[in-house]
This record gives sequence, C-alpha cells and structure tokens, in this order.
Amino acid sequence: MRRRVVVTGIGCVTPIGNTITELKSSLYSGRVGVGKLTLFDASHFPVQIAAEVRDWDLSRVGEDPRRWQHCPRQTSFAIGAGLQAARQAGIRESRIDSQRFGVYLGCGEPFEDFRAFTTSIHDSLECCEHESDSFMQHALQLFDPDTEREFEPDMPAIHLGGLLDAQGPILNCISACVSSTQAIGEAARMIRQDEVDVMLCGGAHSTIHPFGVTGFQRLSALSTRNDNPSAAVRPFDADRDGFVIGEGAAAFIIEELEHALRRGADILGELTGYGSAQDAFRVTDSHPEGRGTATAMQRALASARLNPQDIDYINAHGTGTILNDRIETLAIKHAFGQDAFRIPVSSTKSMLGHATTACGAIELAVCLLSLQSGVIPPTVNHERPDPQCDLDYVPRNAREVACRHVMTNNIGFGGQNAALIVSRYDEPARASQRSRLAA
Amino acid sequence: MLQLPFSDAGNQRRIVVTGIGVVSACGRTPATFWKSLTHPLTQSSLAAEEQSIPSGAADFSGRIDDFCELPTAIRKSIQKALKLMNRETQMGVAAGQQALLDSGLLQDFDPERIGVCFGAENASVKPEDFLSGVQACSDSNGSFDVERWGEEGIPEVAPLWLLKCLPNMPACHLAILNDLRGPNNTITQRDVAANMAIAEACRAIKDDDADAMLVGATGTTLSAFNLMHARLEDEVFDGTGDAVCRPFDKRRNGSGPGEGAGVVVLEDARAALRRGAHIYGEILGTASTARIGHDGAAACGQALSSAMQQLMTRAGLRPDSLGHIHAHGLGTLKSDIAEARAICQVLGEAVRTVPVVAVRSQLSNAGAGMGALQLIASLLALRNGHLFPVLNFSEPDPECPVEPVTSCDAVAGNSFLNLSMFGRGLASCVAVGTFRE
Repeated sequence: MRRRVVVTGIGCVTPIGNTITELKSSLYSGRVGVGKLTLFDASHFPVQIAAEVRDWDLSRVGEDPRRWQHCPRQTSFAIGAGLQAARQAGIRESRIDSQRFGVYLGCGEPFEDFRAFTTSIHDSLECCEHESDSFMQHALQLFDPDTEREFEPDMPAIHLGGLLDAQGPILNCISACVSSTQAIGEAARMIRQDEVDVMLCGGAHSTIHPFGVTGFQRLSALSTRNDNPSAAVRPFDADRDGFVIGEGAAAFIIEELEHALRRGADILGELTGYGSAQDAFRVTDSHPEGRGTATAMQRALASARLNPQDIDYINAHGTGTILNDRIETLAIKHAFGQDAFRIPVSSTKSMLGHATTACGAIELAVCLLSLQSGVIPPTVNHERPDPQCDLDYVPRNAREVACRHVMTNNIGFGGQNAALIVSRYDEPARASQRSRLAA
Repeated sequence: MLQLPFSDAGNQRRIVVTGIGVVSACGRTPATFWKSLTHPLTQSSLAAEEQSIPSGAADFSGRIDDFCELPTAIRKSIQKALKLMNRETQMGVAAGQQALLDSGLLQDFDPERIGVCFGAENASVKPEDFLSGVQACSDSNGSFDVERWGEEGIPEVAPLWLLKCLPNMPACHLAILNDLRGPNNTITQRDVAANMAIAEACRAIKDDDADAMLVGATGTTLSAFNLMHARLEDEVFDGTGDAVCRPFDKRRNGSGPGEGAGVVVLEDARAALRRGAHIYGEILGTASTARIGHDGAAACGQALSSAMQQLMTRAGLRPDSLGHIHAHGLGTLKSDIAEARAICQVLGEAVRTVPVVAVRSQLSNAGAGMGALQLIASLLALRNGHLFPVLNFSEPDPECPVEPVTSCDAVAGNSFLNLSMFGRGLASCVAVGTFRE
C-alpha cells in the first residue's frame, strides 16, 4: 500500500515573524518585512533595502547563543525553525527510532567575511597579478578558523541531526531558489519508499551580505526602490522592478501517516504532491513559455492524483521581477488551463522578500496555514495590473477561502523548477480512533 | 505523458549503469583512467619510490578540446558556455558528456524522462573573480578601501559571476546542453554527496519519475576556500606532510589536495535491455546514516558500520559473497582506523578474504567528486575482472585490520560496496553487482 506522508510540526524564522503564530498574523494583516538594510553598511551600495529577520536569537528556542556564536545567520535560523518544528511534533517525547529519522535541508551558500576576503585579495596582489599561495597566507591570518568551519551549506543539517539525534540520512541540497522545495519533496520520497519514517526538512538562507547584493545587482534582479522599502516588492504589478533580498528559514517534521497516528501526533496537513523539472533552456533565464515551471506543477498534480480543478490556492514564486512574473503566469495557465483564472494566486514575497534557497520552505508554511485557517494571504503592493499578468493575484487584502489542496511553486536560476502540494488531512473518525488506541 | 513520481508501481524497477565518464588526475577518459590505475609504475619503481600525488587534473585544461567527442551543436554550446563555468563545473560537464556518449542514451529519447542529480562542493567565492573590483577600490599608493566597494567595486564584477559559482551549475548545464527535462537536483554534502546522489537518482527512477538519470559528482580541494575548509576538517595535509597518500598503511599521515569528477548514466534495466545498451553493473542498494552527538561529537565509524549493515540487508549481500570494497581511505590516522573497524565489524571473518581498494592513493582528495571517482574505478574493475593496487601501502597497521590490494592480480568479483565518510559523523554507501537478467 502507498505510504502517505503527513506534516506534524512546523517552525519558522522570517522577517515578519519568528514563530508560526507571528508569521500567520503578519501575513493576514499584510505586514511588510522590507526595510532599510542594516546588516552591513550599504549606504554606498546601489541597493540599500532588504527584508531582515529582527529580534532573533537562539535563546528563543532554549539554546545558549554562545554555543552558536561562530555560525552564520542561516544556521541560527535553521536551528530555530528546526527545534520549533520538532517541539510541535513532540519528537523528543516520542520514542521514535533514530535510525529511521533523517534530516534533509535546502540551505544555501554562506558567504565569507567580505572585509577579510577583499583585504586578503588586496594584500596578496603582486604586480597586479593575483597569487593564490599568497592569498592563502593572508586569508589564514584574517579568517577565524572556528567561524570558517561553520561556513558550509551542510552545517545546519548536521547540527540539527546532532541536536535531535537523527541517525538516518542527513543531507543538504542546493538547486538555487528551489532548494528547500526539493529538499522537502525528496525527503517525502524517502519516507514513501520506506527508507525512513520521519524527516526534518526545510531550508534556511541569508544573502543579505555584500556578496549577495553584488551578485544579484549584477544580474539586474533587485528592486532599487531605496526610498520606499515597503512598496519595493510588487509581484505581478505593472510597476514592479525586481525582488528584495530576504532571509529566514522554515522547517517541518514530516512522517509516515501510520507512524504519526500511532504516536497520537497532531496532523497539520498531508504532503500529497511533488514535481521537479528542468527548463533545459538557458542558465541565465527561464524558458519563455515557462516550460519547466508548468511541467513541475503538472508533475506535482499527477503525483498527488489531483486535477487542476482540485487546487484551491497557489502560492506563486512571484519574485516581482519583470520576467519571472510574466513567465510564471504563462506557466500557471499552461498547467491549469481555464482553472488558472479561477484559482487565487498570491506572492507572499511581497511581504517576506526573497529568502532564496529557503523561500520554498517558508512558502510551504504559508500554505499549511491557509489549509488550517481557511485564509489566503494577499499579494501586497499589487495596485496596477500588468496586462500580461492576468490572473487573480489576491491584491492587497487577505481572503477567506476554504482550502482543501494548495500548491506552492518555485523557480530557480539554472532552469530549476519545483512544486509541492499539501492537502487537508481529514479522516477524523479514523484518526481519533487511532490516537485513542495509541493512548 | 505525465508520470507519477509518488506511485508505488515502480518499486520493483531494477537500475543499471549504462555509461561512465571521468576527469581526474589519472586521466580524463575512462580508458586512460583505468590504464593509469593498473599501470601506476613498473613494479621495480613502485618498490623504490613512493608515489606522490599530482596536484590536480593537469590533463584537463578546461578548453573545448578537453571535452569528449561531441556532436557539433553541443560542442558549440559548450564553447559558448565555458566562460560561465568554473573549473568544477567544467570537469562535471566533461565527465557528464562522456557518460552520455558512452551510454548511447541520446540516440532516441524522451527529454521529459531523463533527469540529472549531482553531488557538488559548496562553490566558494574565488578570489580571481573579485580582483578587478578590489583594484578599483585601491588608490595609487596601494591602500584598499572596502567602503568604496558599493560604488566602484560592484561594477567591476562580471555580470554573471553569481551564476558561475552556484553549485547546481554542473547539473543545470548538462540538462541544458542535452535537453534533459526530468528531475534535477544537486546535493552539497561534501565527501558523502556522490553516493547520496546515486541514491536520490535511484528513488526518482523507482518512482517512475524518470527512466534514466545522469548522476555524478565533481569537487576540488585545490581552490583557496575549499582547501582552507578541507584543512580545518583534517581532510587534507596541513602543508607539512610529504604529499604521499598511504591509506591503511602504518606510516600514513593524510592525503593531499586534489580535484576531479565522475559521472554515470543510471537507467531502468528494462529500457537499457530494450535498446541493447552495454551494462556496467546494477545498483543493488544504497544507504546513508549519521552518528552525531548532541554536542556535535562525531562517530564516523559507527555511522559507517550502520550504513553498511543496512546496505547489505537491502542489497541482499552476504559478507562472503562480496567481490571487493572500495574504501573511503582518507589516509589519516583516525579516519582509517574508524573505517577499517567498521568494515571488520560488518564483514566478520570475511574481512580476511574481501579485498579493499582506495583510489584516493592515486587521486588524493577530490572533495565531493571522490565518491563518484571511486564508483567508476570499481565499475571498471568489475568489467575488467581485476583490481588495481592501493599505492604506497607496504606496512600494514594492526589497527586497520583490512586487506588492501597491492597488485593488479586481485580479482574484482561480481559485486562491491562503495564507501564514503565525512568527519562530522556521516557515512554513505552504494552496493553494485554484475547485472544478470
């Protein structure tokens, strides 16, 4: 029999809420997390705005921040979100089989200390030539070894594996902005194929860093509305001019349905669909028809054994760049046909900014909230419709919609695409009977 | 037609290897790689002089002629894309193209049914990409002002720099060059990534999400930050060693930095048989585990023995039926003891008869690429029927009770385990066997 995968814990650290309750309240009131960039002095940068996580440290989940002082921001976010999810799911209290418990995250590249890096290059310059041995000598003096050890994308997964005693597979993937979406989809596949029973999955990232701003600015991907940060991210709006760099994490405990029922866990939703697809077009931009994007959504529908008319809400990738929003709209129409015009589609990046590799996980948390509350978050700043973006983008205000199946869609550099579907879990009679038995 | 990634119908699918490709310090084709492994030196010079490791894949210049024989259109596309690829990506793409050519898969195929899964290093920032920017922020008397970066440094960085250094680029370039539209992912789990990529690709095929997957890994410990991080993790020499890698030898003191990529084509066995493909071997199973304490303390040996035990069960292998073991063989004092004890614990008495190889003695530490290079070396051994020596092994260490191969005479057998470990408490392994219908 097909093994079903359900969500039993959620955690998040985001620019508009450092718990799932805070996130929910911000989303439905349309609170924007974009503001002046404060994590480094960006006063001479072309882009001076970002969606930063505020008022966060690991003491909020009972960890001693001193233990994690050498870690990059994303590790702190991942541990925060991961421990929140594990607590909600009651992982430590339940005697789960550690060997059947793994971690799969989509955490991005942590960036090196910018001043130390550029200074090392400068100090190693000889006759205008870069000399690698000399760079190494300078770098070894300027970089802190304890910090460097933590600057690898797999460290959050490794730390969470240790903290939660997960002895199954522990891994991290990077597939640009679909990393955490694929980490969750692949983690579910591992449960479905009976390799494990429980996975902690999700992602974390922060590119609010001189390297991040440099890279995205050179790709002309960023909004330069420095004077009006809260209006900067305008997904699907005619006046959109790019995305705003964000940061954060979301994590989930997902497990095999019977396993969750046996231990009497609260079931927050069922992970029913996953699709991954490649545009196979260009590294630099998406296929003009959104070929891979549409295919990923179709594969997610097929794997969930659902039809377009079954979907009640789509959380779009919706970065707010000219091209992404147009192509994603085309792809939704291609995947959903006439239903595309009926289904509400919103981009919560309008409030959260773009958390790059972590965005898929955070947006899945948004979807699970909609399943539970029957409310769809809005696309804020959507004021002047773009004729080429002609779907229902839930402008400005949250909307009540009873949701049974919702999809989140992500698109990444390199032609990467992935989509997930979560569904309301309602076999209440059976579920309560099982939990009574377990008790 | 849409397929069902989560369907359970495909769980019985058998998965075989139908193509291989390699870029390494010991050759940049499977043929030269094998020749180099099996003819490392004449026996007399082997005895007289220990082998130090070449510092990289010197034969691979990254120019278009170093890619394999290619259809004109793909050759042109690679030529155009080269400036967007860092060296790890170039090696991964070259190995991937070899594997595709070798498999004959692209003669007649459905692009939606072939995916890519890679293991890769965190693509750290390369100093040379920021050189012009740093120079622009320096004044005539040579002082550098980082505060000028925002205005004067940023415009000097290549517009596509960020795309060049993303770790998912090998998998993306291969998909784009060859129109592979199936699932596409990149696992960034350092030394244990390659076997994990094999496992993930097998899951996609078993789920009927793809009929074939191009799977590989590429890595380096030669570039500045990779080298620094590898040194901090005790993965490579600290610079004071003699750059001779001696896995399981009593005098071992680590391994030097290196680089390389290996790629295989994995395919549903029925599809491979239908098109008459050459089959190198069958993936019999995969496993990965972790042993990390609450305080971060790692127990790699325990992780490895647990992964191996799971793998033997999943693959239906008995210790005495095992052909050989391809060890991680890091060549450090601690890691080799942990690995040898894990092998000994799982194999029991059979440890005396199952030969162990470690291609790291030839290649040094190619980072995330290592697991894939090991796999390809052992697949070639299965095909040729015999193994290749662990170089520089002459003084057994009683703490490492395994049987390293010292000549080309040892029989490869019909199956092998490919082992990888990472010092943070992780292990991954893959079992491969000769394919029998």
